[in-house]
Amino acid sequence: MIGTVPYVGLANLHHALSLIPSSDYPYLWVAGVFLPQGLFIQFTAILIAAGAMSEEYEQGTAELLLSKPVTKAEYFFGKFLGGYSLIAFIILLNMVLAVISATVTFGQQASFSVLPGVFVAQAYAALLFFTVAFMIGELIRRSSLSYIFSAALFFTSTIFGLYLSVIFTLTGDAFYKQVQLYIPSSPISSLPLLYASGSLPSGVASLLGTIEGLAGGAVETSIPFSILLILVYFVAAFIVAFVFFETSDVSRKVS
Amino acid sequence: MRPTSGSVSVRGLDPVSEHRKALVNVGYSPELPNIQTFLTPRELLALTAEELIVPKAEVSHEIASTLEIVGLTEYTNVKVSKLSKGMVQRLSIAQALIGTPDLLVMDEPMIGLDPAGAAHFREVFRRIAKERGGTIFLSSHIMSEVESLCTSVCMIHRGRMLFNGTIKETIGNVLGSTFLIVEAEPVENCLESIRGISGVEEVRRMDGSRTVELKVTLGKDVRPNVAEAVIRSGAKLYSLSYSEDLLERTYLEALKKGTNF
Repeated sequence: MIGTVPYVGLANLHHALSLIPSSDYPYLWVAGVFLPQGLFIQFTAILIAAGAMSEEYEQGTAELLLSKPVTKAEYFFGKFLGGYSLIAFIILLNMVLAVISATVTFGQQASFSVLPGVFVAQAYAALLFFTVAFMIGELIRRSSLSYIFSAALFFTSTIFGLYLSVIFTLTGDAFYKQVQLYIPSSPISSLPLLYASGSLPSGVASLLGTIEGLAGGAVETSIPFSILLILVYFVAAFIVAFVFFETSDVSRKVS
Repeated sequence: MRPTSGSVSVRGLDPVSEHRKALVNVGYSPELPNIQTFLTPRELLALTAEELIVPKAEVSHEIASTLEIVGLTEYTNVKVSKLSKGMVQRLSIAQALIGTPDLLVMDEPMIGLDPAGAAHFREVFRRIAKERGGTIFLSSHIMSEVESLCTSVCMIHRGRMLFNGTIKETIGNVLGSTFLIVEAEPVENCLESIRGISGVEEVRRMDGSRTVELKVTLGKDVRPNVAEAVIRSGAKLYSLSYSEDLLERTYLEALKKGTNF
């Protein structure tokens, strides 16, 4: 849906079509691929991860499953990988739909060779909020509260990033820019765009620039820094969740 | 759950450090059936069999025989969401039985079952204990059920073990006596002579009825003497039987005394 909607919108707006140079038509698949990156994909990752553990506690299925010869580590990794596979599949599905919709609406598309790398970048970026929401679900063990706290953290990070960006623009103080670099929503927006910017023809740069703005304002940083920052958040959240799970009792939570 | 003190072993294995090996022959049915409602009984048992590493060639037979034991054969392919509470309880017991475990942990297994279902499972548990020679841990608040099914009993109150042993030992250690219920008419005629019988510790008449309750020293069978005393007094004897709520009395007595036995 998310991958298709922009094209249906563009195809039905005469003025919108006239605003896009026809030379960009072969690269319009990037709109469907990148627009959902900042909000839709992250929010879906949160919805999947926040309930992954907490719902098992509420329904009592964790207790039942762990009474079988399944180790806690197997259970934990199984839940994590199962949920993460689902979000990776959703990212892939969004890409396929975006490419098909762009082809149907604007004709033959080009530069698909960058798509596998973009998929990896988006899937890797989704790891951050997925793991954080997974950790919150494990710590709180209440699905409704986990959804609320995880979503609140995501939106706070995104809005805080925008504020910092505005303050930096107004004051020119580099401190605000530095702080913005480290908040969790920054690398997830930046990484896929940074990767694609370097691999797509220069003519598409302006299009990506527009999408950057629409996708929540990516921060000017580097690919290695974004990878490292996502890794730090992922490892920290994963370890906290795993240690808490390994050291606490698993019993049914009656809500 | 990690132990705070003491240790647990299942067939000589530590269930914490050797989780997989220790639990491979253990079946557990929780108090509230926690079953994914989008599965069918066949799918649930197939998944459980996979977790228990049941050989693939035996899975279909295991599923069919387990569903037959719990009386769900005709619901093999019906979604759990469409089953009644009693049927879900039966399925919960089924997932504990599959793989022929030799240790069963059944937490309130009769909840949600109709009287016929409860009687059926009492028989199933007796048969499993007899045929497999394994152990069944039955957690229940229904004392009559425990008394009729179990050989040994352990009573826990607020995390503290009140007593542990065979039912006979437990009743003996806590109560030190048993109770005989006598129904006779007119019951007043025989009260004095019953009080004089050796082994009768206390005689208590139920308010306004023809029934009396005798507290009798454990191990003494005073039934012939009581019957004789009633008949000699000219009263008619309607019934003479041991009280069937001894375990409940034992529990209440242990709570009152508040010490370990």
